Amino acid sequence: MGLHTEKNLPVKAAPSKSAVWRKRVRDNKFAYMLMVPTIIFMLLVHLLPMIQGFWMSFLKLNQFTLGKYLKAPFVGMDNYIGLLFNSDNPVRQGLNFAIRNTVIYSVIVTIGVMIMGLMMALLMNRDFPGRSIARTAMLLPWVVPSYVVGVLWGFMWQQNGIINYFLVDVLHLFDEKPFWLLGPNTIWAIIIPTIWRGWPFLMVIFLAGLQTIPEDIYEAATIDGAGKLRQFWNMTLPMLKPVIAVQLLFQIINNVYSYNIVSTMFGNGAGYPGEWGDLLMTALTRQSFGYWSFGSGSAASIMLMFAMLMVVGVWYRAFRSELNAQ
Amino acid sequence: MKKTAVSISALLMAFSVVVSGCGGNNNSSNSANNGGNKQEASATAAPATPSTEPVTLNAWVMPNSPKPDADFLKTLDPYLKEHPNVTMKVTVLDWGSAWTKITTAATSGEGPDLLQLGSTWVPAIASMGGIDKITDKVADVGGAEAFLPAIWTTTSIAGDSEVYGVPWFVDARAIYYRTDVFKQAGVDTATAFKDWDSFKSALQAVNGQTVDGKKIAALGLPGKNDWNVVHNIFPWIWAAGGDVLSADNKDVAFNDDKGLDGVMYYTGLAAEGLVDKASLEKNSSQIESDFGDGKSAVIISGPWLAKNFATPKANGGMDDKKAAKNFAVAPLPAGPGGQATFVGGSELTVFSGSKNKEATWDVIKYLTSDEAQKAYAAVSGQLPARLSLLESPDLDANMKAFSEATKYGRTYPSIPQWGPTETALQKHFANVWDIVAGVKGKYSKESVKEELDSAAAEVKAIINQ
Repeated sequence: MGLHTEKNLPVKAAPSKSAVWRKRVRDNKFAYMLMVPTIIFMLLVHLLPMIQGFWMSFLKLNQFTLGKYLKAPFVGMDNYIGLLFNSDNPVRQGLNFAIRNTVIYSVIVTIGVMIMGLMMALLMNRDFPGRSIARTAMLLPWVVPSYVVGVLWGFMWQQNGIINYFLVDVLHLFDEKPFWLLGPNTIWAIIIPTIWRGWPFLMVIFLAGLQTIPEDIYEAATIDGAGKLRQFWNMTLPMLKPVIAVQLLFQIINNVYSYNIVSTMFGNGAGYPGEWGDLLMTALTRQSFGYWSFGSGSAASIMLMFAMLMVVGVWYRAFRSELNAQ
Repeated sequence: MKKTAVSISALLMAFSVVVSGCGGNNNSSNSANNGGNKQEASATAAPATPSTEPVTLNAWVMPNSPKPDADFLKTLDPYLKEHPNVTMKVTVLDWGSAWTKITTAATSGEGPDLLQLGSTWVPAIASMGGIDKITDKVADVGGAEAFLPAIWTTTSIAGDSEVYGVPWFVDARAIYYRTDVFKQAGVDTATAFKDWDSFKSALQAVNGQTVDGKKIAALGLPGKNDWNVVHNIFPWIWAAGGDVLSADNKDVAFNDDKGLDGVMYYTGLAAEGLVDKASLEKNSSQIESDFGDGKSAVIISGPWLAKNFATPKANGGMDDKKAAKNFAVAPLPAGPGGQATFVGGSELTVFSGSKNKEATWDVIKYLTSDEAQKAYAAVSGQLPARLSLLESPDLDANMKAFSEATKYGRTYPSIPQWGPTETALQKHFANVWDIVAGVKGKYSKESVKEELDSAAAEVKAIINQ
């Protein structure tokens, strides 16, 4: 999205950066004026609460000091130190489980929805009778609100529910019906519905991406003797890379910050999903609003924010060239 | 690309808003002013004739009945007819999100006039300065003597004589059992619910009875994925002679030998096969509908279930179920430490930020009168909080059983830190159910004790913070 002023720059004398900016502002005064209210609004809505959250992470902020809010006792790095090093800190024990689960959950879900979405997009990109009806039908899981997904799958996973009926009574995969909402199986009880709900969105995006690839290069490749698989690896995938890159980031953020499915499946936010079902967001919500430790809750979320920024940094390095290509 | 970066930071920041959002528009000077106004108001309030100036009151209530706002207004209708100058606006808060909204209101001073609070929330909101002291006014509604003692203790903070709320309605837990199944198994219901031993042998007798061609489980109880986990376990700890905290509320008591006995007896019922293990994954309302569907012979629930069984199917009730015509209510069995059950309920409070405290108090006076309590109990299926009504001879048999239950009913310590305490207990009791289900180590006295001890360590830190 280069600014159109760039092509007006004189080629011979390379002007200083500030000169370029001065010229940009002068030439586009009206455009910049239009942006000012938005910038002020963004600062108010985004930056202030962020600074506030940052400040709160240095306070002993609980129910007794909440009334004083920003004037609560200052404890410096105590909230951070407690979370990182104090093994007696119950929050820290809970966070270990939540971090492990969130990593497993977001890696599997992200990979799962991307592969499912891509495969279905490739299928749907072919011409076959009833294609448009099929495409619409595929979108069904995505249209179901995540609250409903949680409640619905919560029923299906129950010990005498439909999933165990298929796994045990029909397919005879286990000797006895396992629990899915108790114990270590819980992680699958949240991963599978999330993938089920998430892939149609990716299918739509990839489908749009596939349709920008011109048909004739495939024809040329076929004439040159490249098989379907080779065409996929050497043409489709590289051409889709910018789309894949953006969706990858979107999915990582989305899944790390996932909350609804777990909260609706396990006691509507009131229950404890257990050591294999708790995610960072459910743990942090419990931490802040259940234990009323708003200070260490903010500290934990600030740390999470920096962790996410690092992920974004790695992501940007990996895909920089694709993203700047246009 | 820039767009993506902006949306990432937007997402991150949105999250920090969530975390910091609980503060809302903090205005401590505002609440200080309110405190001042309140003093003036109560000083001039002595004559207690509410003005006839037009006034609009906002009330925040939770869904206590099938049509929460309509039922609330219906109860209030006679009052509003008599006071045409009063307009009442009702906002229904979902139980799940109510806590966050109320604490936000309490810190910002922006909220309703009349506020319903769950009985365990009163000390916390009072300690935040969110609700008014009404100590000098409660005589208007009959004072402590007029209400169920167990619920009255929750109107103040333990160790403090100030009163912050008036009990509105009461919820107690008792046993629902299938009369037909007990008869078929030849169990005498007059003695079956006497004590722990008779209860267990009664359950063993009804377990696996065939009803309508299907085997019935003796007991239905929810495990961990439920909002009542803590309320379900404590009656058994109390009945074993245990307690939540020590008498001075400074130490933890629930993990001592008696507390452990209580937990082992209750969870033992599931471990010994008297409970269909599938029910350990369910929540209270699923357990209730399972009972309605004839999957279990006994469950423990509150007065609302009897109301539900009496409500026609067309209105969302369960009157068509076989259980609806074949059930009775009995008290919880006595343990070595006596008889106990959980008593909860809600209170009506005057919000500190209210500008119409006089008019609000007048409405509360009406809502806690005999007339209104009776009317609200009828629409909501909850128990009235006034003793005169609880002891009234015209209660039906089921309500009488619940009224009986309130006599040995107990509540949690009325401490400001109860909220986080209950969250911690919820977490560890959930782990106990994982142990019972066999997915987290082996079920034994030692493993349960270990979990209770780790709960105790956490709770101790919370109450001494």
